[in-house]
Amino acid sequence: MMRASMPWKSAGGILLAGIAAVALNGATSDARSPSGKSQNPDQAQTHPLAQIPRLASGKPDFSGIWQTLSEADYDLEPHSGRRDAPPSAGIVEGGQIPYLPKALAQKQHNFAARAKDDPRLKCWSLGVPRSVYYPAPFQIFQRDRDLTLVHQLGNQVRTIHTNETQHPESVESNFWLGDSRGHWEGDTLVVDVTDNNDETWLDRAGNYHSEDLHVVERWTFVDKDTIAYTATLDDKSVFSRPWTIHVLLNRRRDKNFELIEDYCYTLPYDEYYPHKGGK
Amino acid sequence: MTMRRLHVLLIASASLTASLSIAQTPPAPTPGQPRPGGGIGFAKTVPQIASGAWNGARLADGQPDIAGHWSNTIANHSNWTDPQGGAPGEKPRGPERPRDQRAPSRVSDPADGQVPYLPAARALQEDFAKNFANPTKPQYIEPLARCAPGGVPKSFIWHGYEIRQYPGYLVFLFNSGTRIIRLDGKPHLPANIKLWNADSRGHWEGNTLVVDVSNNNAKALFGRTGDFASENVHIVERYIFDNDGKRYNYVATFEDPTVYSRPWTATIPARRYTEADPAGGEWHYEANVANRPGKPLLHERMERMCVENNGPFGGGAVGVPLTDPIIDR
Repeated sequence: MMRASMPWKSAGGILLAGIAAVALNGATSDARSPSGKSQNPDQAQTHPLAQIPRLASGKPDFSGIWQTLSEADYDLEPHSGRRDAPPSAGIVEGGQIPYLPKALAQKQHNFAARAKDDPRLKCWSLGVPRSVYYPAPFQIFQRDRDLTLVHQLGNQVRTIHTNETQHPESVESNFWLGDSRGHWEGDTLVVDVTDNNDETWLDRAGNYHSEDLHVVERWTFVDKDTIAYTATLDDKSVFSRPWTIHVLLNRRRDKNFELIEDYCYTLPYDEYYPHKGGK
Repeated sequence: MTMRRLHVLLIASASLTASLSIAQTPPAPTPGQPRPGGGIGFAKTVPQIASGAWNGARLADGQPDIAGHWSNTIANHSNWTDPQGGAPGEKPRGPERPRDQRAPSRVSDPADGQVPYLPAARALQEDFAKNFANPTKPQYIEPLARCAPGGVPKSFIWHGYEIRQYPGYLVFLFNSGTRIIRLDGKPHLPANIKLWNADSRGHWEGNTLVVDVSNNNAKALFGRTGDFASENVHIVERYIFDNDGKRYNYVATFEDPTVYSRPWTATIPARRYTEADPAGGEWHYEANVANRPGKPLLHERMERMCVENNGPFGGGAVGVPLTDPIIDR
């Protein structure tokens, strides 16, 4: 029995094909069936997807602290090693981001100025999807009505609403972390993100977007400690067509690991408090 | 586009009016007219709520269900010990009243309502208060005006906030900063890690959430009067919830022998805000109406961003770097 939660169903790349195959096998064998009526009980108990955490409602429970092992934040596209980035094959499906010609020039300008202009350097909110694959931990707190993503860097807190509410009909101006409305397709959390502002970059290499950015995220367990994260980005002002990234998120399992606040934007002035003259 | 959510700094310092063109000022309370949000934004008294059993709703994990939107009832952070007395060097908002007609000090012990500072610490607090209205050095700019987290305890007297609950956690989403309270019984972080929102380990005793607070960097002042602790401070908080679910009192004991001559206690009353209250910007309750046509009214929290939107707010005198990198990681 195939389920609607097929991970990577839009993924044509080979990057994570092996994982996708494992996941699909799990779906076919119905290893996740709560009724336990699998034809192969041993396989059902040991299959990675049989062990994923779930809420009382039966939905997958993404609660926990997550972080990418990837090099995505350095540069989403394939690149050789350079002074400020390790090499990587990139996480863009098909390789390159389909910029419009004028937007490509802006990206190249951003790249040249990245050591100064990357918003991350000010410890500002990274936006969606960058906040997800920035290489610092974030914690998901999950209830039936929403997921709360608390990112360690800065003061980034995003709510993904899963209570059948819709995007606002209008907003006075757009959001740093967008407006996120999620729904479940089987065991996949599908999140529609709109109302993004144009202040954030997509990585340290100057890849960027405009206010027209529309992101569709797909969050799917690969096993109980790994989430397959996919985001499709559409922005008619910057890209010639929608494009997709794939990255894995790993549960932080270091002993007693916990989030430690990192309000680094206070660093320029925190030496003056309380009642200190500074250096 | 960078000016979104300016109400994060609604109640900013009059000394920083040069930067205030981007902010708004909430209407002063009109005598005899109920304020938005139920009319007790400037209550004169602190209700009595006793610690005891919890008879209200519980979550599946057994915690009392107190999730939702809350805000203090007596004033903002303009003045720690005379909450409705106005910031130092400024007139109180609303009509001037004699001290005994204003809300009591947040210092509920000692009985005189004063923080029992050691002499050197008192001098630092008074120096800040004296210079607050016309800051000539960076240290006289209230850190919250520069978008620093409100910290402990000021977050509880700075705009409304939302509490979300999960097995093993409470999460406080403040106007400025986020605080995670862990209920898992694990020890505090290593002592040399100091945090704006400190490190919080809590447990429930009936209707009371008891939180042990350490690792405080103590940089977040308690308000515009410059009241403060040092990073040696140890705080024990008791959040005492009324069984009707509508109010709680925040009762916190501060111990810091390097700043205070004895332990002292702060009390901050809070009330719940719900869909019965108007949404849309009043600073006690910064919520939006969720878009779900045909279904009952539902409110949801607004995105809170500060430094990203307000830039050099409060930093004009000293130059908070806005364009230059401040980290290299």
